[in-house]
Amino acid sequence: MDGDWDEVARIPFPPPGLRALPTPVTRLAFDVTQELLWTGNEYGRVTSFYGAKLQQYTSFKAHTSQDGGVLQILFNDKGVIVLGARSVHMRTRRGIPLWSIRHDDMKELRCMSFTSKGTSEILVAGEQEKMLVIDTVKGEVTKQVSTEHKYKIMRRSSRNICAATPSGSVHIIDSINFQVLKIWTAHTAAINDMDAQHDFIVTCGYSLRQQGNYMPDPFVNVFDLKNMTSMSPIPFPAGAAYVRMHPRMSTTSIVMSQIGQMHVVDLMNPNTSNVRQANSLSYFSMIEIAPSGEAVALADGDCSIHLWGSPTKIHFTEFMRPVETADTVAAVPRLDFDSWDTPLSSVGMPYYREVLLSAWPGNMITEIGLPPVKIDPQILATLQERDWGFYGKNTRQVRRNQVEDVRGNESPQSTLKHPKFLSERARELAKSPAGTPAPE
Amino acid sequence: DDVFVSSTNAYDEAMNHLGRELENGRLVRLLAKLGTINERPEFDGDPNWSETEHRYTLKLFRDYVFHQVDAQGNPVLDLGHIISCLNKLDAGTEEKIYLTSRDHQSTFLVTYRELKKQIHSAFGDLQKGNTKQ
Repeated sequence: MDGDWDEVARIPFPPPGLRALPTPVTRLAFDVTQELLWTGNEYGRVTSFYGAKLQQYTSFKAHTSQDGGVLQILFNDKGVIVLGARSVHMRTRRGIPLWSIRHDDMKELRCMSFTSKGTSEILVAGEQEKMLVIDTVKGEVTKQVSTEHKYKIMRRSSRNICAATPSGSVHIIDSINFQVLKIWTAHTAAINDMDAQHDFIVTCGYSLRQQGNYMPDPFVNVFDLKNMTSMSPIPFPAGAAYVRMHPRMSTTSIVMSQIGQMHVVDLMNPNTSNVRQANSLSYFSMIEIAPSGEAVALADGDCSIHLWGSPTKIHFTEFMRPVETADTVAAVPRLDFDSWDTPLSSVGMPYYREVLLSAWPGNMITEIGLPPVKIDPQILATLQERDWGFYGKNTRQVRRNQVEDVRGNESPQSTLKHPKFLSERARELAKSPAGTPAPE
Repeated sequence: DDVFVSSTNAYDEAMNHLGRELENGRLVRLLAKLGTINERPEFDGDPNWSETEHRYTLKLFRDYVFHQVDAQGNPVLDLGHIISCLNKLDAGTEEKIYLTSRDHQSTFLVTYRELKKQIHSAFGDLQKGNTKQ
């Protein structure tokens, strides 16, 4: 962390409705290709913010409010993958849905991770008996993996998937066949936060004290994935709550306490640390670091998002791909509704090469010139007359706006029986029972 | 000679009128498609049209085209805007527009091409008559 790091922006997290009270952020995630910070709320809504000023970009609901909060967000070239407790959803960054999976075996999902197949496959897991493998290109479940373990956090390291269980241990899972390779007991009661990067796993957790309450452990536990051994913990007297590995400095991590004390520590040399204090009237609930390592986002209990970085050179991604915005519309001649002289064609079509949307299907048969539907005078009598028409309860025995067979009433078949063509007989047979229009 | 001139003039005028009204039928057919798919009660329970799914943008597009307002919130009735939006939709251009929900909670950035595809598939569903599954 450079010397000039400071809070560069602080925005209130948008509330779920116009007059609703703000709710805390459930998930923060920096985009990997564009200058966007993505957030999730507890009603399944995902909102993205652009740049160092955190201007709101797009916003959409990934799942219904009943399914709870947004649990995790992953990114690939095509878009964002959003995890809810009972569904997985993918959209482009502009908000256009790509796919959405609700599966019977998705009951209590908690976390997900990319697998050995780059960003084209994810493994989703949770506090349930099954893990599911999803192809992110096709948007379908390709495999189900039974597991007796429950997971709440997942991170992909260079070789394996690291998964934290609710009871305080970390499972190192093979990212090809999803077998547990090693179990590391990191904390005695629970793991609060975990990150994995390159060859290290770092965790913050709790232990149970005599009084029966959980206390944040005053250290960060470190595991060396290269040698598959745990390393000596890094002391953090203020109580380590959240931890992130620096994405570009492979042995550096950022540790934060619940009250906002941030330490930048080198895992190999824990005695030299760089200290910052983030200010908030309440506790901090989350920390996330940008893929460039040049920005850190914090969420607090007052529903604010804090963005930290160097005020002069803050950026989120290494190769800043520009964010897509709306095109400026070329000036269109203004037409009033009562300007009869101006033809509609004066607006002009854009250049096109494909079939137009207005192309009406040519194989539809329409019957024209039918006599109007007769209104039953008995029903008319039940209606009250007003100067704009009649009104009352609908007692007609047909559907709303149903197409009625006027011709049938007009010339009753009983009085005039003429021979029918074969095609006519066939058509009568094909006619569905009363109440639904004929298939043609 | 006079007969020839006046007949050519009449022909020119007929062509001129034809050119002015050429687009009308196309626009009516497009509006008919939009009208048949939007706000159908059969679609009420259909998850495709819910806020979390892909046809939600079609509702918002209808608002974008027909429910324009000015800074004070007064309705803006500009036929030019409506027709130019419809023309772009008809052709399915790559131009991107912002669509915002009525509660301001959802914002999307959509191309006309994507909207065209959505409407095409929604209309296809109506033709097949399988909307009630």
